[in-house]
Amino acid sequence: MRERFLAPTVGAVVLWGVVVGVASIAAALGTSSTNTLVTQMLIDAIVVVGLQVFIGNTGMLSFGHPAFGAYAGYVVALLTMPVSRKLIQIPDAPWGLAEAEVDPTIATFAAVAVTLVVGAIVGLALVRSGASSGAVAATMITLAFLFVTHEIALNWTDLTDGGGGLGFIPRLDGRLPIVLTLLVVLLVGRWFAESRPGRLAKAVREDGLAAAASGVDRVRPQMAALFLSVLIIAVGAVLRVRALGSMTPSFFYFDYTLLTLAMLIVGGRNSLTGSMLGVVTITAGIEFTRILAGESVSVPGLDWLLRPNLSDLFLGGAMLGFMLIRPRGLLGDWELDHWLRRWIPLRRRSAPGAVSDRSGRKHILEAKGIGATFSGFRALSDVSLRVETGEIVGLIGPNGAGKTTLINVMSGLVPGHDGQVLLDDEDLTGLAPHDLAARGIGRTFQNLRLFSDLTVRENVEIARIAHDRRGHDIDVDALLHAAGLTDVADRRASELDYGNQRRLELIRATATAPAFLLLDEPTSGMGEAESSAMVDFVRHLAGEIGAGVLVIDHDLHFIVSICDRIYVLDHGELIASGSPDVVRNDALVRAAYLGED
Amino acid sequence: MLRVAGVTARYGNITALRGVDLHVSEGELVCLIGPNGAGKTTLMSAVTGLLPVTAGRVLFEGEDVTRDSPDALLRKGLALVPERRRIFADLTVEENLLMGGVTVAPADRRRRLKEMEELFPVLAEKRTLHAGYLSGGQAQQLAIARALMSGPRLVLMDEPSLGLAPALVEVVFQLIQDLKERGTTLLIVEQNAKKALAVADRAYMLRTGEIVDEASGQDLDRWADLFEAYVGG
Amino acid sequence: MIAVLQQLVDGLGRGSAYALLALGLGLIFGVMHLVNFAHGEPVTVAAYSVYAAAMFGAPWWALAVVAVVAAVLTSLAIEFAGFRRLRAADDFTLLLTSFGIAVLVRAGFSMWVSTTPRQFHRPAWIFDTVRAGPLALEIYDLVVIAVTALTLVGTWLLLQKTMFGLALRAAAEDFDAARLMGARANRLIAGAFALAGLLAGIAAVLILMRRGQAEPDMGLDILLPGLLAAIIGGLGRLEGAVLGGLALGVAQSAFRAWILPNSLSRLTEAAVFGLIALLFIFRPEGILSARRAERV
Repeated sequence: MRERFLAPTVGAVVLWGVVVGVASIAAALGTSSTNTLVTQMLIDAIVVVGLQVFIGNTGMLSFGHPAFGAYAGYVVALLTMPVSRKLIQIPDAPWGLAEAEVDPTIATFAAVAVTLVVGAIVGLALVRSGASSGAVAATMITLAFLFVTHEIALNWTDLTDGGGGLGFIPRLDGRLPIVLTLLVVLLVGRWFAESRPGRLAKAVREDGLAAAASGVDRVRPQMAALFLSVLIIAVGAVLRVRALGSMTPSFFYFDYTLLTLAMLIVGGRNSLTGSMLGVVTITAGIEFTRILAGESVSVPGLDWLLRPNLSDLFLGGAMLGFMLIRPRGLLGDWELDHWLRRWIPLRRRSAPGAVSDRSGRKHILEAKGIGATFSGFRALSDVSLRVETGEIVGLIGPNGAGKTTLINVMSGLVPGHDGQVLLDDEDLTGLAPHDLAARGIGRTFQNLRLFSDLTVRENVEIARIAHDRRGHDIDVDALLHAAGLTDVADRRASELDYGNQRRLELIRATATAPAFLLLDEPTSGMGEAESSAMVDFVRHLAGEIGAGVLVIDHDLHFIVSICDRIYVLDHGELIASGSPDVVRNDALVRAAYLGED
Repeated sequence: MLRVAGVTARYGNITALRGVDLHVSEGELVCLIGPNGAGKTTLMSAVTGLLPVTAGRVLFEGEDVTRDSPDALLRKGLALVPERRRIFADLTVEENLLMGGVTVAPADRRRRLKEMEELFPVLAEKRTLHAGYLSGGQAQQLAIARALMSGPRLVLMDEPSLGLAPALVEVVFQLIQDLKERGTTLLIVEQNAKKALAVADRAYMLRTGEIVDEASGQDLDRWADLFEAYVGG
Repeated sequence: MIAVLQQLVDGLGRGSAYALLALGLGLIFGVMHLVNFAHGEPVTVAAYSVYAAAMFGAPWWALAVVAVVAAVLTSLAIEFAGFRRLRAADDFTLLLTSFGIAVLVRAGFSMWVSTTPRQFHRPAWIFDTVRAGPLALEIYDLVVIAVTALTLVGTWLLLQKTMFGLALRAAAEDFDAARLMGARANRLIAGAFALAGLLAGIAAVLILMRRGQAEPDMGLDILLPGLLAAIIGGLGRLEGAVLGGLALGVAQSAFRAWILPNSLSRLTEAAVFGLIALLFIFRPEGILSARRAERV
């Protein structure tokens, strides 16, 4: 497992080298103002890493992330400002801060600690609002956070001296601390993305529902990303304040948010390498536009454009332009170490073994008296069924009969249902989807839900790493081999053809080593031959892992050929059950499918 | 009146329809039956312009309407009663009906509203009720009435009996017959094959995106025992 | 008691502009599921147009017309330039696009007009006061309340009694079903933006009456409370947006006048925001009510 971090580590170091190299060359060739610019750029890079760790891995657009920096900035400013200055600027500061003066290192720790506490509060709000990838809630909450912070900074003059800000903060000696910090955060950033919480967060980002069904509890990875990002931003903020020697409310407000977001977006928010490219590009662009708009340059015909604030125009234009033309940014989700993998490939098993070593324990999954109502519509009434490991049970019925709803109930997606779902007599009612997955219930979805941007292998691995603690070792390579996906294992899931995607979804559900597989129309959209192949595959896989299967399908030919028993639903009620022969001759079933006489 | 010629359509990776050929003549009631996942709703979407057609043509009264948007088709006289009805639950019954007539001149719209209320007395009675409170059967009537508001010459219906109790299915099919008698041409997609075949002039069987069979008149009886057809074939 | 009423009037006056912005945001959200960060910019453009017209000596009623027209045109331009191509984009992309547009407009004004506020002359009668019993009210406050009330009634009539309004409401519920009925997608969305622009224009008039100057950041300054108001009320619910705006204005007045001790009165904004933050933590369901149901 360690080797998974080898390429990213090398990649992060190389990336750091490139960034620092570019910065050093620019500083050497330029004027003293270029020097300051380079320092700023390196600090911005640190902050952008913090942004990328959260926004890239969770997919939540946080508009106020830089605001965390304000807290760190003020703590460091307040603790390291000379007492003499404080007595002039903020004599009435609370908590005796006007008289305190502390070593910068201790101040840094304090700053980070305070910021993490603030991060916890914001995190609480995010979790409570059920914020998920792309949701408006996360943006609004973090935006509100940005503005509250700014208002407090502006108006709590006893503490912050208002808009003018605090000054005379002991400055950093040289760039070395910044450069070293950048190395550390780049490493941490890549490591996080490759770590378990990072990968789980990315799965939730891709498809929250599918992630839950694969056993991922979204809260932990997202909060891990949040805390790490807050930590990084806090450190970056401390460096920024100490590099500039002052701290004002506008340092971590709208303009800085805009700047750092633009850097992240332009480069590619899903990639750390991309973000760094974005930092360099935007910094260069802004400097370029600033020079162009300055007095020293005059381009005939373009004077109307080359005016002050051209940089802002450039930023807005860059953001808009990329959203319209290339929303994934310059590098998409490509990382430097992807290229390096050619020389440091991950070790692969040459001959995959058996899929699983699951013992032959027998389990029983039961649904008893299930009822469900949606906005007055009774979707299910008093439905009971039972599946044992080793069986394949069919669930059929006309459109709208409630089949998918029943599977949703059994996989935890319907919180307020009647009746019970029991696994070996343990009542699973009310458990969250990821808990059910952990207990041994895997499922596929009617409208195929894959982690589109992750590779085929990663899709399957997510299910496995969400379950490391369960102890059943599922051989991912064996699963891929069984599905015929070994050759495309490193391709993005979205690139596969449909039949393969369905197969991938199936093995992903299997990777949780489930006792039961709930399959919702696995052959939907397939032609005759593909359906046949899928039938065989389901049978084979279920046999290999010894799971019990409950499968919904409209292809009655498929159902009859594969199932040991069949349940028939109509209008939310169970109208028949039994062996295929019994069911196909049942008058009620025929009536349901063909209509009343 | 309507001719679908060699239509192929895709949903992302999936080829949902392959070279579908069918036609509906004026005054006919044609049914499209088949197992779920066969592509019946996809075909409706393709014909009405909600889903792009990758090959083949759709001709309405001789005119090529393959690339037409839903509102253009409505103005030409082709209306759809969508699967699961898709009525506007937050709007009143009357507002739903008015929405159905959005492409029609105001005077005609008012006139048709009155017509619909006569044709569907239940709706007249509940005209100010929010449509979300209607029962399944009433909602289906609303969906059909709404489609009729645009004065279409051809009405497509996607699974009109879906989710309805048997007694209501009876009512709906009676309505369908009434419509036919009033001269409306109908193309109906149905899962309830027996009911559909009882009222149809002709029928097509759709399976995994392809038309596999066609029958009319007396021949429809041979499709009576469809369960075996679904399962056996 | 008098003081309370006085503050209430003041708060309603403040909140009116928020309510109008929030309503516009809600309309756009309903139709496109987009939180339009650029919705403050029509106000900025309106302000500068008023300034320009005032320089030409236009009478005050013409200035109001100019403001509204400018806002509508700006809103339409934003829709056309920014969002027409992005119908199928995800929320993230849409949000950042609107953000980018907002920044561009701000920068444009800073670059090509001025970064310092531009003042213009306002008719004197705005500042006269009128006595209603024991209350002394500025004409300004009365105008604000009257105009807002009229606008809200007018908008309500538009939404409830016209086909256009009906189509907007239908589209907000189920965009594709509305298309199936024959509503034209582009026209509907443009219509929503135009209406939102109209509301923003009226809000601009109200703001300009109070402030009498145009500056590049105006849009952003007014957008934020409008946004918060829309969210408090529930992004999908238009009545909620209006109530949220008015409530926000009243809360600000109240905080400033009584709730905070004098020393902290400058923390009014922060206190209000803090309250909202608590709202998010403890009642998130009540807030974003326009959650779309996913089909599994």
